[in-house]
Amino acid sequence: MTNDDGLSRGFRQEPHVQAGWHRPWLGGPLVLAVGALILVGVLALPRENAALPVIARHAMEIAVPVWGQAEVVSEIVYGSRGFDTFGETFLLLGAVAVVLTLSRPREPRSEYVGEASEGRAEQRRLDPDEPESGDERKARQAESGEESETRRIRMSVVVRVAVRTAVPLLAVASVYTAAWGYTPGGGFPAGAAAAGVVLLVYAALGHRAVRHVVRSAVVEPIELAGATVIVALGVAGIVIHGSMFANVLPLAQPLTILAGGNAQLYSGAELVEVATGLIIAIFSLLGMGRDWTIHDDDSQQVPAPQDEDQ
Amino acid sequence: MNVQALLPLPVVIPIAGAICALLLGRLHRRLPLLVGIVAMAASLGVLLVIASRVLAGHGHVITVYFSDERPFSGRALGIAFSADPFGIVVALLAAALGAVLLTCAMSELGHLGRRELGLLACLSLLMLAGVIGAALTDDLINLFVWFEVAGLASFGLTGFFLEQPTALEAAFKATVLTSIGGFVIFTGSAMLYTVTGALNLGQLQQALPDTVSHSIAVGVALVVCGYAVKAGLVPFHAWLPDAHAAGPGAVSAMFSAILVDLGVVGLVRMLICTRLVLPRLGDLLMWLGITSGVVGALMALAQDDLKRLLAWDTVSQSGIIVVGFASNNPEGIAGAVYHLANHGLFKALLFLSAGAVLHATGLGKLSELGGLWRQRRVLTAGFTVGALAISGVPPLNGYASLGLIHQGIADKPAVHLLAAIAQVLTVAALARATYLGFYRPRAQEYEHLETQHVGMRISLGSLAIGCAAFGVLPALIVPRIAAPAASFVLFTGAHAAGVTTGVTTLPDLSIPAGLPGGTDLLTSLAEVIIGILLAAAYIRWGEPRPVGWLRRLHTGSVNDYATFAVAGLVLVCVTLLA
Amino acid sequence: MIVVNYVAAGCVFCIGLFAVVARRDVIKIVMGLSLMEASTYLLLVSMAYRRGATAPLLSNPPSGQTQRDVVHGTVSDPVLQNFCLTAIVIGIAVTAVFLTLAVRVAQHYRSVDAADATALRG
Repeated sequence: MTNDDGLSRGFRQEPHVQAGWHRPWLGGPLVLAVGALILVGVLALPRENAALPVIARHAMEIAVPVWGQAEVVSEIVYGSRGFDTFGETFLLLGAVAVVLTLSRPREPRSEYVGEASEGRAEQRRLDPDEPESGDERKARQAESGEESETRRIRMSVVVRVAVRTAVPLLAVASVYTAAWGYTPGGGFPAGAAAAGVVLLVYAALGHRAVRHVVRSAVVEPIELAGATVIVALGVAGIVIHGSMFANVLPLAQPLTILAGGNAQLYSGAELVEVATGLIIAIFSLLGMGRDWTIHDDDSQQVPAPQDEDQ
Repeated sequence: MNVQALLPLPVVIPIAGAICALLLGRLHRRLPLLVGIVAMAASLGVLLVIASRVLAGHGHVITVYFSDERPFSGRALGIAFSADPFGIVVALLAAALGAVLLTCAMSELGHLGRRELGLLACLSLLMLAGVIGAALTDDLINLFVWFEVAGLASFGLTGFFLEQPTALEAAFKATVLTSIGGFVIFTGSAMLYTVTGALNLGQLQQALPDTVSHSIAVGVALVVCGYAVKAGLVPFHAWLPDAHAAGPGAVSAMFSAILVDLGVVGLVRMLICTRLVLPRLGDLLMWLGITSGVVGALMALAQDDLKRLLAWDTVSQSGIIVVGFASNNPEGIAGAVYHLANHGLFKALLFLSAGAVLHATGLGKLSELGGLWRQRRVLTAGFTVGALAISGVPPLNGYASLGLIHQGIADKPAVHLLAAIAQVLTVAALARATYLGFYRPRAQEYEHLETQHVGMRISLGSLAIGCAAFGVLPALIVPRIAAPAASFVLFTGAHAAGVTTGVTTLPDLSIPAGLPGGTDLLTSLAEVIIGILLAAAYIRWGEPRPVGWLRRLHTGSVNDYATFAVAGLVLVCVTLLA
Repeated sequence: MIVVNYVAAGCVFCIGLFAVVARRDVIKIVMGLSLMEASTYLLLVSMAYRRGATAPLLSNPPSGQTQRDVVHGTVSDPVLQNFCLTAIVIGIAVTAVFLTLAVRVAQHYRSVDAADATALRG
């Protein structure tokens, strides 16, 4: 029988030792070798006087006549290679689902679950037993808002007024650039900007200002609706033309709001999905509790970020 | 509606199911997994319709281009899905096993929290959709996108049980290494596009020049390393045992049986594209594969944790499959395709049994288990059938496929010998696990021994029957399924012809199909007997010194695992550049 | 001189890779992966560049050119720009997952040192 059960403590020396280097004498030469090899490969690439690849030229040629779009990168993203974007949309949805899974609060389970019992045994063996250090205690207090100073004081008047003025402009600007087809990538950067606007409001005005917007029961169905529109658009292409994401909507004049046929609807649904997805991910990360570790089983869950007076 | 329009549906249906699963979690706790099972069954139905065309006769390749972006003068901007015999086997395996494993998950895990189950179903469906998409696609960047989708979903599934610190640690290591692989694939793909102007794999194959420049060699090397991380080839393998052992039993089965196929698909596509211009890639993959085979089996022999043992065996089997594909002759490749399907079946069976044991007793270590044959006969029978199948005992399925692979490498004596050694070690590892876990008498009663659900028994039974069926029917499987796949992989003209829309026919490839008999049977039985003796010796006398060194090499630190991967990257680049 | 960009991208990739290989703090490992990601963006955009090129935009062509001139003239490669967008989305997704995992690992093992999270060995 094996003498080492393979699950005993690792290299741990004393607790909370500053995390430092790990065999740089081995990693350094290997990474330098990788760098040299990549440089060898990259320096043999065609340089800036090479001709444009044939398929890129083809994309430029079909942008206006076939897809009615003046922004060629958007035409490739939402038109000719729309299936890649379909994959990416669900990559982002998958990432949001993973963040939700990893940051979820504990739920009651009705039967004996062997993995949970093994988990508790592992925790008893592996999770350090030392009492909290000063750093840890301070971090925990800051997280729960017990510590008075930084959490309770509002942002200054200048910040609050500036944010209240800027936010509508920023929100409209991000949607505007996507709607009128000026950004490469369409819904992606616009969605990220919209999520950034929500974060700006949260940082400046506190949780109470955004709590209606970021409630999980509100945002999740919107995100899934955006994803459903994209799937429906693809399937409509199959049903009508026999090819997924073939253009099914009528073309309009380039640089107008309906330009691009499919592309505008796709881009709009993408905006909704990316914005809500990022909001869900960020706020569930911020609201992560500590109720899975053995030491915190009995303690209360960390309360939601404190409301500030309005 | 013609068959070509149906090609994207096997990917779209699971994705739509994932959206529904996330929504329906709020209503009732069993709904998400039920939606998942229905989605995978529907996807399997569509795949069977497509497969009936693809596998008809000597094999066909059916291609469709999306967004109505047809190819022009041999170049393609749009994304192509092309169903060829090899890809359709992987996709069918993913859909069928996915449906069975989700059924099992519904019965075993049906009492978890509502939110947890919704997220479990959503992530499982996204992962299966990613594998099916990667198997069917014919575009370099699309392959990478599906690789990332499946990878991301797998990170969440690995760390699913948040109360297990080892699960979270395993998820972290898997994320680091798979991300390194992802960045490296991306860089390589972009370099290949810049040099050849081709994204479609058929176009890429035709556009590669006869004398390979440095940038093409480095680009191919980077792409190969990235997919090797997913396939678990040594030295990119170190995350795999940790990650495949964490997570619920049905999920571990999905990882080992289905997700490693994604890496294998990427490697095979690269092999097909570069066979004529970079023959050294085949030799390199053969040596990496056989090293994985031996190292994986050796480490499996030394493990105490049952699921970790099975995960190390996945490293070994995946290496043997890659050896088969790299052997470049019909028997080897047909054997590799056959073994890919068989590995899915018996590995799923083994992981389900191991997961059920953990779920029922709360114990995962071989040193703490034992005596289960008395109280849990179905579980024990399932595990035993799986162990016999891996060991290559006729008439179960491992015998036929391993026989074909060994025939394929018979002209390379060193590799053949190492493959035989790997097989002996695998038999020893599984024999030791079966004895210690199930048949050894146990002094005390178990503290917890929960009842088994019906769904689990049905899944175990159906997988065991699958193993037996695939074992006794090689006369049906080899000419109808494995031979067309081998024909596709070998005859490069068929792949390049995929650049045109439509249906292409593959040339005939005749491979002897009967159960290998005569000396093959003797060799196989000899391997089994030596393996059992080795297991007995291991139990009696403990771990030999070299195995201890190998175990100490896997330090558990994510930095060390990344160092191994970087060393592998240097090795592959230097080999392909020279 | 696009070669300078290529060399810079290679250097940033190696710095990121070195951080992943030699640094034990999990946050520094995540930063190293972000650096590797950023270097791929730089590499892709540099590979898309052509000398004297304009952006692949067909609205408001530069003075003296019609839309048709832009279509057949020198532009930077739009297909590689599409990949760059794909890479950026993947980067966001992976970084979000990494940070959540780092927090959970730190909650259990009570340290951000990767050498403390080595329970699975051998």
